[in-house]
This record gives sequence, structure tokens and C-alpha cells, in this order.
Amino acid sequence: MPSVKDLRERLKSLKNTQQITKAMKQVAAAKIRRAETARKQARPYADTLSEMLRDLIAGSSSVDHPFMKPGKEGAPAGLVLMTADKGLAGAFNSNLIRAAELYRREHADTLFYAVGTKARNAVRRMGQSDRPNWALSAQAKTDTAREVAQQVTDDFVAGSIGSITLVSAKLVSMMAQRAETRKLVPVEPAELSGEDQKEPGLKAAVEFAPSAEFVLSCLLPKYLEFTLFSAMLETDAAFFAAQLLAMNNATDNAGKLIDELTIVMNNARQAAITKELLEIVAGAEALS
Amino acid sequence: MASTIPFKLISPTQVVFEGDAELVIAVTTEGEEGILPHHAPFLAALRPGVLRANVLEGGAAKRLELATSEGFLQALPERLTVLVDQALRFEEVDVNGARTELAEAQECQKSAAADSPQYQHEQAAIDYANAKLRLTGH
Repeated sequence: MPSVKDLRERLKSLKNTQQITKAMKQVAAAKIRRAETARKQARPYADTLSEMLRDLIAGSSSVDHPFMKPGKEGAPAGLVLMTADKGLAGAFNSNLIRAAELYRREHADTLFYAVGTKARNAVRRMGQSDRPNWALSAQAKTDTAREVAQQVTDDFVAGSIGSITLVSAKLVSMMAQRAETRKLVPVEPAELSGEDQKEPGLKAAVEFAPSAEFVLSCLLPKYLEFTLFSAMLETDAAFFAAQLLAMNNATDNAGKLIDELTIVMNNARQAAITKELLEIVAGAEALS
Repeated sequence: MASTIPFKLISPTQVVFEGDAELVIAVTTEGEEGILPHHAPFLAALRPGVLRANVLEGGAAKRLELATSEGFLQALPERLTVLVDQALRFEEVDVNGARTELAEAQECQKSAAADSPQYQHEQAAIDYANAKLRLTGH
């Protein structure tokens, strides 16, 4: 049985841990609000951009852009893996990395692009130590997104990768995040012209300046860039949601452990007192 | 009173302007283009430049001028939307910052081969910096 002193020290350290997890929980709660606002503010842009792209693809007969054509045959698949920079968020990062590994198993040859420190480390563990990587929590996410988009576009056009796929986190709700694997390039027109097919007659009459092909060649890279940007925002928000949950559980667990240990410690202390009393009584009896 | 059209100016981080416009003048890749209400459906790529618009804000006519980076303009019968990477109002422009950006971009452009993506990128940066300076009257 551990001594009272040992127990007291363990309790003290547990209480410290609980305080840290509680603080991290509060920080995550504050940050998730900010991340959510950023995500909401990006919403109108996202909607308009995909609407324009839909119009364009519907309005232009022949689309001649590398993104619309299948990539080079036999080239490795490009995979952008997006994770958080930090851990302490339950299985958040490992879920994303597992999704990437799953993809890798299906596609014999995969080249990674890592966004987030955890992604970079995972990619290194998979034996691709020289792949380009970026930090997720950089201040200017638009710049990071542009750099990533530029890099994958260059590689795709040069034929060193045959497709571009993105693994990022999806924030289903505050309690649930999951990894999402999306194919970005080559762009499938069917995917874009999804839900609302309103006013189809109007689309055909749209004028383009200077030409539909030119506008499309500007829009497609922008679309890729923005998809990456909004994925970064969502991964960020999902990370804080996961961290909030993980830290909440950790605080609860620490509380439970503290309660249990307090009882054990009280028992041990009482036992020690009883033992001492018995010794005194026994000693007094022996003398009389 | 002139007729108006609902107008929205959107950047990835915020909705910069939302309201009714009588006229919007944007710099497309083909040159300046003025869009009035009832314009035919129209979609254009924008170059960095100064975007001007006559808008109604709270019932009063107002002149809106912004330095915008690359983007797109979409005119539909019932609304007009402009998407840009960045848009700055007069008071948001950092003049000295823009000067430095201009100088840096010009320097970088010299080392890039003409027609390379790098060259185009620097050209866009130069145009954007120039637009910012022009907006503030420098």
C-alpha cells in the first residue's frame, strides 16, 4: 500500500494536470469561435465561385484546360494531406493520417504534400522525407493556400503527378469530425453542376470577356486555391472542436481519478492513525 | 432616380460591400468595363485595379472606390457579383507598404523570364500596388 505522502504527491500532480487541461479546453473554446467565424465569412465567396464555375462549364462548349483533362497516365497520384500542427486532440490527427494511408494502399504510387506539422511528420514516417510541407496555423492562410495550389498545379501540369486528391477534416458538428477524401483534379463537371440547376436557359446566353476559355483558365486555379483555403479553415475549426472534446474528457477523467485517490488517501491516513493509536494503547497496557 | 441592381463585392475573408448599385466600373482583362442595371448576362476576369461604383447606402447616393486584386465579375439580370482576392478602401491602404511592395515586385520581375508564371504573378503584384497608390492619389 502506498504511503500517505506518495498519495498526496500524486494527487497534487493530478490536480495540476486537471488545471492544464481545463485551461486548454477554454482556449480551444475561444479559438473555435474565431475559426468558425472565419469559415462563415468565407462562405459567400465559396458559393459564388462554384456558381460561376458551373455557369462557365455549362456555357463553354469545348474546355481546353489541363485541369479538365485526365492526368498523365501512369504518373503517381498526388495527395494533399491536411492535419493540425499540434496534438492533444484525441484521434483527430491519426484519423486524417489513417485516411491518407488508406488512400495510399489503394493507389500504388502516391506522392504527398503535407499541410500541418503532424502531416509532415507522418509523411516522413512513410518514407517520403523530402516532400514539400506547410504549416496549417500560419497567419495568412490565403498565402499558404496559394503556395500549395501553385506547387500541385506545377507538378500536375509537368506530369509528375496524375491527379490531385485532398484529405482534410470535415466538421460535422461540434461533437463529430471526420476525415474526408476529395478528388480535386481532374475536375469532374458533373460534380460541380450538382444541386441547383435553376434557369438553365439563361446559362447558355452568358457573355464572356474575353472568352469562356480564358475566364475558365483563370477560374480553375482560383477554384483549386480556394478549395484548399476553405479546407484549411475547416480543418482548423475541426481541430479545435476535437481538442475541446478531448480536453473536456481529460478534465472529467482527472476529476474522477482525484475523487478515487482522495478516498484511498483518506483510508490510508485513517489506517495509519488507527495503527498508531493501537500501538500507544498496547504500549500503555504493557507498562501497567 | 436611376434604376439600381443588387451588388455584392466578396473577398475570401469577408463580404466587403453589399447593397444597391447604379453603376459599377471594373478593370477586366480587356480594359475598364462599366456595368449598368439590366446588363446582359456577363462573366469576366478582372485585373488588379481600382474598382469604382455608384452605390446607394441608406438611401443616399455614394461613390465607392476600392483597390482590388485579381478576381471575377458576374453580371446577372437580378444581381451583380464581384469576387476578388483582396479589396481595400481608401482608408485601409498602407501607402508606404504599397510602395515597398511595388519596388519588391518590380525587382523580382526583372529576374523572372517574360511569359513565365512568376513574371505574371509579379505583374499582378505590381498592378495591385499601383492600384493602391492610385486610389490614395499618389
